[in-house]
Amino acid sequence: MTMIKRQHKKEDIMTNTPLLEIEDLYARVGEKEIIKDFNLTINEGEVHAIMGPNGAGKSTLSYVLTGKPGYEVTSGKVWFKGKDLLAMSPEERAREGIFLCMQYPVEIPGVPTTTFLKHAVNAVRKHRNEPELDTLNFVKMVREEGKALGIDNEMIKRPVNVGFSGGEKKRLETLQMSILKPDFSILDEADSGLDIDALKVVADGVNALRDGHRSMLVITHYQRLLNYIVPDFVHVFADGHIVRSGDKTLALELEEKGYAEFVKEK
Amino acid sequence: MAGLIQNIALFGENIPWFQGLREKGLEAFKHQGVPTAKTEAWKYTKPRDLNADDFVMNESNFLLELAEEKAECHCHEKSCHCHEDGCHCHEEGCHCQDEINVLVDLPFEAYQLHFYNGQFVPIYPPLPRGVEVMTLMEAVLNQEAKNYLGKLVDLANYPFAALNTAYMEEGSFIRLDKNTKLDKPIIIVNHSETGEQNLFYNLRNVVVLEAGAEAEIVEWYKYAGAEKSRYFANIVNEIFVARGAKLKHYKLQNEAFKANHLALNMVNIKEGGKYEAFCLQRGANIGRNETKVILTEEQAEAEVNAAYIMHGWATLDTTTDIEHLAENTISHQLVKGVVGGDAKGVFQGKIHIAKHAVKTEGTQLHKALLLTDTAEIDVKPELEIFADDVKCSHGAASGELDEETLFYMQSRGIGREEAKQILIDAYLDDAVNKIADSEVRDWFKEMIKA
Repeated sequence: MTMIKRQHKKEDIMTNTPLLEIEDLYARVGEKEIIKDFNLTINEGEVHAIMGPNGAGKSTLSYVLTGKPGYEVTSGKVWFKGKDLLAMSPEERAREGIFLCMQYPVEIPGVPTTTFLKHAVNAVRKHRNEPELDTLNFVKMVREEGKALGIDNEMIKRPVNVGFSGGEKKRLETLQMSILKPDFSILDEADSGLDIDALKVVADGVNALRDGHRSMLVITHYQRLLNYIVPDFVHVFADGHIVRSGDKTLALELEEKGYAEFVKEK
Repeated sequence: MAGLIQNIALFGENIPWFQGLREKGLEAFKHQGVPTAKTEAWKYTKPRDLNADDFVMNESNFLLELAEEKAECHCHEKSCHCHEDGCHCHEEGCHCQDEINVLVDLPFEAYQLHFYNGQFVPIYPPLPRGVEVMTLMEAVLNQEAKNYLGKLVDLANYPFAALNTAYMEEGSFIRLDKNTKLDKPIIIVNHSETGEQNLFYNLRNVVVLEAGAEAEIVEWYKYAGAEKSRYFANIVNEIFVARGAKLKHYKLQNEAFKANHLALNMVNIKEGGKYEAFCLQRGANIGRNETKVILTEEQAEAEVNAAYIMHGWATLDTTTDIEHLAENTISHQLVKGVVGGDAKGVFQGKIHIAKHAVKTEGTQLHKALLLTDTAEIDVKPELEIFADDVKCSHGAASGELDEETLFYMQSRGIGREEAKQILIDAYLDDAVNKIADSEVRDWFKEMIKA
């Protein structure tokens, strides 16, 4: 049944190649069902925004897509580049090109950022059958990509995220995105804790990756971020699924009216 | 107990003071036996395997050599075992030159001393002036060891040191003259290649640093043969650090995974002397590195750091006992461990500050990372403080690898096992970083990854 549906979809969009297809997804954390009957297709090059009230399960969606332990899919399918995403481990998903820019990046005491980045870059390169980067070329790449984000040598010598300010953490997330060059990025509340200058730096970094092929899913509570990362589509997420879709003007409407009417719907 | 008591001829039985020590050792061991769970100092580490009755001690190399010297050497015969330095027969089956192969490649320059299953391999590194290295028996014969051997060991309370004393014959004697500074480390490598036999051997090293001398000694216990070899290496080091002398003492315990490795380091430090130790244990089924430091005079200082990493069913034990007997003495301890499988990590750390040892400083911290639900950690810190005006602290903590962190790393493409290894390395890093010699430090870091 699912396969037929998928075939049909593919024929439908001759010009638009689907990158991520989420079909009838149900997922829970513990006993609590949070994602219910969720459907969304994201084509190559598209930027989608998901907006919704706090506690609606927006972050849960990002963890389900990246395979975080404890987030259990009870039914439904997710196809990434035509492959069964849910059958992959978190690292396989990352190597295939999925990246999650986390709301609360994890601090890793004792592990220098540069060590962490090098392991990540080479794991992804190995998967793509590209030669691993030696230290010299790795440092060169990080320096180039870091420059635009205001990340210097001193910062990447420090342990991952330890003692970083909110802005530094988000910039490091963006740096990781820049050097791993994922086909699909999920930005989970990328603007939380950022002042306007830091937000611009992060948004510029994200926008630099928009090349007509890479796709993004921007998860946010506020419309503000979408002034800087302008989406092609905006979806309202409530009660476990998308209750309304539109273009970027929907975000403005939400900003004005709030989420009340959607939450009421249940 | 019967299994460890061997009826074997040893060299030097005609030297009264030396033989007398051995007899006292045997008596003390017979009195104590292999510790049981009731023995306080061995409450957590139970060397049950040592009750086995299949232990075999090699015949005395020294007595064999004596016998061979008397016989005429037939170097040109295929079965030559003469072990003479000057043999050049190159015949198949001649083993005279075999032992040369024990020299190891190290990532740093060092004077190498080698033991093979606890027996000295007669290769003497050329040493600078003021440094003496000889076998224990040489030092016994020329009386040099007489003032040191057995002086630091309390036979009544250390059963395995008593056992070691009963059979002492192999080992080394290292002495540095006043103000002599060694230009590179001395490494003592013990290769264990015991095969099917459950070999039991004792090593006894004596290290003497005269006033103002500086040295670095590295011990490496490595298995050379089958990983499944079962054996018992029983080691005692007696270390004398005189006024203003400095000793760095690093140890890598990488025995076969069924082996028993019990080591006792007895260290005496005089005024202004400094002892810096680091022990990495990553092998053996039962591994114990016990260090007793006595800070006998003012300004004496000791750093006793360690790390251990293990899986399977092993028990790795780090036991320390630091006695501050004088004013203004300092000791620091940082011990970190990683325990996986059904393994058990043990840390027993004691700091004793005598009544008159005011203004002393003693710190101790043990931290362990448990990788599985079945991994176990037993910690017994003991502070005995009889003086006022001292700075003393101890702490212990254990934790697990953080799932959030693992997921974060995985979500960047890093494989779960690789991520764990990165976190384990990072966990042990601050302990390993205590090693002052950067070349040895890097080598140990590689050994943790291996």
